[in-house]
Amino acid sequence: MIKLEEVTKDYVLDQDVVFAALKGVNVEIKDGEFTSIIGPSGSGKSTLMHIIGLLDQPTTGKVIVREKDISKLNDDELSTLRSEVVGFVFQQFNLINKLTVIENILLPTIYARKKFDYDPKEKALYLLERFGIKGKEYSYPNKISGGQQQRVAIARALIMNPDLILADEPTGNLDTKTGDEIMKLLKELNDEQKITVVIVTHEPDIAAKTNRSIRIVDGKVV
Amino acid sequence: MNYFFLILKSAFFDFNRNKGRTILTSLGILIGVLSVVLLTAFGLGLKKYISDQFESLGTNNLRIVPGKPLQGGSFSGSVAAIRFDERDFQNLKRVKNLQFVIPIFTSSVEVIVSKHKESSTLYSTTNDIFAGLNLKTTYGELFTKNDDEKRSKVAVIGPKIAEKLFGTAQSAVGQPIKVSGSSFKVVGVLESKGGGFGGPDLDSYVYIPSKTGYLFNTDKKFVAFIVKAKDSANLEVAKTDLKSALLKRYKDDQFSIIEQTEILNAVSSIFSILNTVLVAIAAISLVVGGIGIMNIMYVTVSERIKEIGIRRALGARKMDILSQFLIESVILSLFGGVLGLGLAAVIVFFIRAFFPAYIDLQSVVLALGVSSGIGIVFGVLPAKKAADLSPIEAIRYE
Repeated sequence: MIKLEEVTKDYVLDQDVVFAALKGVNVEIKDGEFTSIIGPSGSGKSTLMHIIGLLDQPTTGKVIVREKDISKLNDDELSTLRSEVVGFVFQQFNLINKLTVIENILLPTIYARKKFDYDPKEKALYLLERFGIKGKEYSYPNKISGGQQQRVAIARALIMNPDLILADEPTGNLDTKTGDEIMKLLKELNDEQKITVVIVTHEPDIAAKTNRSIRIVDGKVV
Repeated sequence: MNYFFLILKSAFFDFNRNKGRTILTSLGILIGVLSVVLLTAFGLGLKKYISDQFESLGTNNLRIVPGKPLQGGSFSGSVAAIRFDERDFQNLKRVKNLQFVIPIFTSSVEVIVSKHKESSTLYSTTNDIFAGLNLKTTYGELFTKNDDEKRSKVAVIGPKIAEKLFGTAQSAVGQPIKVSGSSFKVVGVLESKGGGFGGPDLDSYVYIPSKTGYLFNTDKKFVAFIVKAKDSANLEVAKTDLKSALLKRYKDDQFSIIEQTEILNAVSSIFSILNTVLVAIAAISLVVGGIGIMNIMYVTVSERIKEIGIRRALGARKMDILSQFLIESVILSLFGGVLGLGLAAVIVFFIRAFFPAYIDLQSVVLALGVSSGIGIVFGVLPAKKAADLSPIEAIRYE
């Protein structure tokens, strides 16, 4: 479903100093996979995640999403594609504290360009129930626990029916038990609904729970 | 879920969290809108006041004066030199379709009652002046044609000077006054016509019969004539006839025949210019208010970089972020504008007790339009800054 061919990414740090974060990466993530991207900090795994997450475009190489090369898309087209293809889950949860739980979950829908063939609000309520946080719809994110916040974030990632859930250190801010629950939840989504899940992590324990690990070191897949 | 609802909710959450900041920022626009709307209201009031004054001086009136006071505005020496006399008066009276011709001689005088001294303007004129200018007495009587023939030493005075000299207008009737050394009997006190505010103080005038006035007007000249046509349809004809009557003695540029409306227009246009200048100066404060908004919007944007990053990751396009921050700056500015307008309305309401200021629909529309416009103009740069943030850097921002 998403394929990277010979992708490089350079950052211009200063006038003449260029930092090569990715040095020719070939990766393919297939539909329904439960994959992790693992690597130490500074390895380029964040850059790789940004490119897979359509937040950034490569310096050279091809990124193919839904059989289309997206490296030539402009910012608006990329934003629209991102809203339809990718659902993000972050280490810091990244919920908007001034909006209620239900408003946070529905936030991606206000930016959507597509017509919905389902009622997003119904889906949001279903997800809340499914994730065991029913009754928290009108709470504010800073009034609920970290584990609950991460569940809200996963619900938000799912609201658009994305092809891919991209989770960046999803258990990094949680205790082990809660972290395990979140991992279990992601695994269930993959098993039951065949949603593609990519987890970015630096912890081998987490990576071990996935079906495949893509290891990245110094900007290269090893 | 509704796009605008979530954007507005987010905006109001931030306004509420930063109440002091929001109010101070809006205050800049409030003051700007307040001063512009108030000054416009005063301008409109002044205009109405002037036109009411002219209205009260009678319509269908023509004034015949020496020179060309409404052209170029200067009473230049040679053309202003003429003064009308009895022969002109008789010539003008022969013109057809006129209700009356009123000769006027004016001079600045001091009016004395016992030890009390007041300065005033003396009008020596015929009794037609009262009908011509819609003057009526509150107490006593007007002087008559007979008083003019007999050169009676009687005076009809304005209510303001009557009060100043005698304490009350009523007690002035029948009392003697000394006008530049001659003794007159007050036969009537006029109704108030208003005046002051930089215009002629009509309520302080002293009217005496024209021929009695020769006491002060020893060479029997007149400074002006007021001519009233029988009806307004004849005004233009009368004007032409009067002109040809006067051209027998004078050159075209030595006199003017002015309609009240012409004077009104001339005076109004001066005040309009003055008012426009004042409003333009007040508008500078709107610009200052706008800069305040821009400043605070920059602060808001830098406080919410993370939020911008999250929204971008969730699919918001640059345009979505841009409009979100533009909407916020317009709300901020419009909030100040509405409060300024409201405050102006309250102030105008109280001022109306003394002065006919008013806020017209155009001012309301303009105030709201301009304050929204300021929100857009001064919000666009901060909003653009927010929209142009790189999503990756924004979402990583702590």
